[in-house]
This record gives sequence, structure tokens and C-alpha cells, in this order.
Amino acid sequence: MITGLWSDEAFLSLHKGLDAAAERQRVAAHNLANVNTPDFKRSEVSFEERLQGSLAGVGRLPLAVTHPRHIGRQAVLAEVRHQVRRDYSSSMRSDGNNVDIDREMAAMAANQLKYNAMTQLVNEKYGLLRYVIHEGRR
Amino acid sequence: MQIFRAMQISASGLTAERFRLDLIANNIANVHTTRTEQGGPYRRRSAVFAESLQEARRGVGLPGQVGGGVRVAAVSVDRTEPRLVFEPEHPDADADGYAAYPNINIVQEMVDMITATRAYEANVTALNASKSMFLKALEIGRG
Repeated sequence: MITGLWSDEAFLSLHKGLDAAAERQRVAAHNLANVNTPDFKRSEVSFEERLQGSLAGVGRLPLAVTHPRHIGRQAVLAEVRHQVRRDYSSSMRSDGNNVDIDREMAAMAANQLKYNAMTQLVNEKYGLLRYVIHEGRR
Repeated sequence: MQIFRAMQISASGLTAERFRLDLIANNIANVHTTRTEQGGPYRRRSAVFAESLQEARRGVGLPGQVGGGVRVAAVSVDRTEPRLVFEPEHPDADADGYAAYPNINIVQEMVDMITATRAYEANVTALNASKSMFLKALEIGRG
């Protein structure tokens, strides 16, 4: 089945990972732009734990359920989405702002590396496909 | 375009911090200004920032609104009493010989300036990070 080439777990995870990393970059830029805004609360993106939860179910038969909130229903990989949350729990300064510039910078650098790594992996996957399409000649 | 929103957000941060720097430079330049169009000494000005929000595209990010960077909500004018200096020969001196100078603390302006500069740099770094990510995405499929 040709669709399997483009929708296997690795491709799907990479696709969603790239989406999440792009969103995380946007959120970091937003936090940094508002570093001097009074009462601003930082946002963060959660993705990895959600992906992990759905990958645990890959290759296992899911329980039959009749309702989305039934026990035993595995999160399907295709439905995994990153989520943006706002952190109202803390305050860094007396003006109510809770952007920690060091933390944002470190997160941004890590996110960038992650994005580059995922881009490279997508390239490798396409390279393998190309190799197969060319019958191993290149 | 949607994917360049991170860069637009950083750009809004750059604009806002630059505006703040303009105000600080204006405050420092007018530290000895005793007459203005409104009458009286110059009054210190400072920028008030506010988060700017955009409507989210369907199915992306938070339902409702997502962050769109920062905007200058207002310029607040200092209302504290002017600094009185005894200078009877000053043309703007009052009947008792006191001239009213703006109540500007140069140390505070300097600290604000450094804060604005650092925030500006942080936004530049974020902008460069976004740019290199987008460039990297263009490499997909080049193999």
C-alpha cells in the first residue's frame, strides 16, 4: 500500500514534531517580545508527553470502545496535537510578569536543535525512499 | 503568512523596545528642559506595553486567541512634582527664585535603557532562530 510510505509512525511523528517545534518557537518569540509587559504570563507548548502516550499504543490492538472517554482507548497517533498552555502559577517580578529570559533562551536553543534534527530525519526518510525508487542505484 | 508569524512577533518586540529607547533618549535629552509647549518643565515619558492577541486559525494552538507579540498601549506622562532649583537669574524662575526642572533620574533612565537594549537583543536572537529554522525547513527534500 503506497499510502503506508507516507503515513507510517515515523513520518507522522516527525510531521507532528516539526509542527510542535514551530509552534514552540512562536510561543518563545511571543514570551520574549513580552518580557517587559506588566502582568504578562508566559505560555508553553506540551507535546512530547502526548506523543509518548500515543506511541505506547503503537503495534498493540486497541480495546473496542463505544465512547471516546471509555477506559482503554489509546490516543491515536494521527490525533496527537501539541497544546499551548499559559502558566499563571508564578510571578518573576513585582509587575506580575513571569518571563524568565534565560529559560526562554535555553528552551529556544534546544528547540532549534530539535527542529534541525527532525528536518534531517525527514530528509533521511525521503532519501531512503528515493534510494528504493531508483532501485538502489544511488 | 502563518509560518512567518514567529518573525512578526519578534519584529513587534523589536519595534516596541525601540520605541521605549526613543522615549528614554528623549527623557535624557530633556533632562534640563524648563519650558514646553504645554507650559512648565518637561515631564518624563514612559511606554506602557501590552500583549497583543490575534484570532487563532481554526484548529491551531489555543482555542480563541493566540499570542501575536507586543504593542505599545500608551505613553504615560510622569505626574510627579518638578525638581526646584534655586536659580534667581534663570528666566523661568518663579517669584521666589526657584526654577522648575524635570524630575528625571538619570540613573533610572540608564537602567531602563539597558533593560530595553537587552530585551531588544533577546528579540533579535529569537528572530534569527526563527529564520534559521525556516531555512532548515526549506532543505527538506533536497537530500
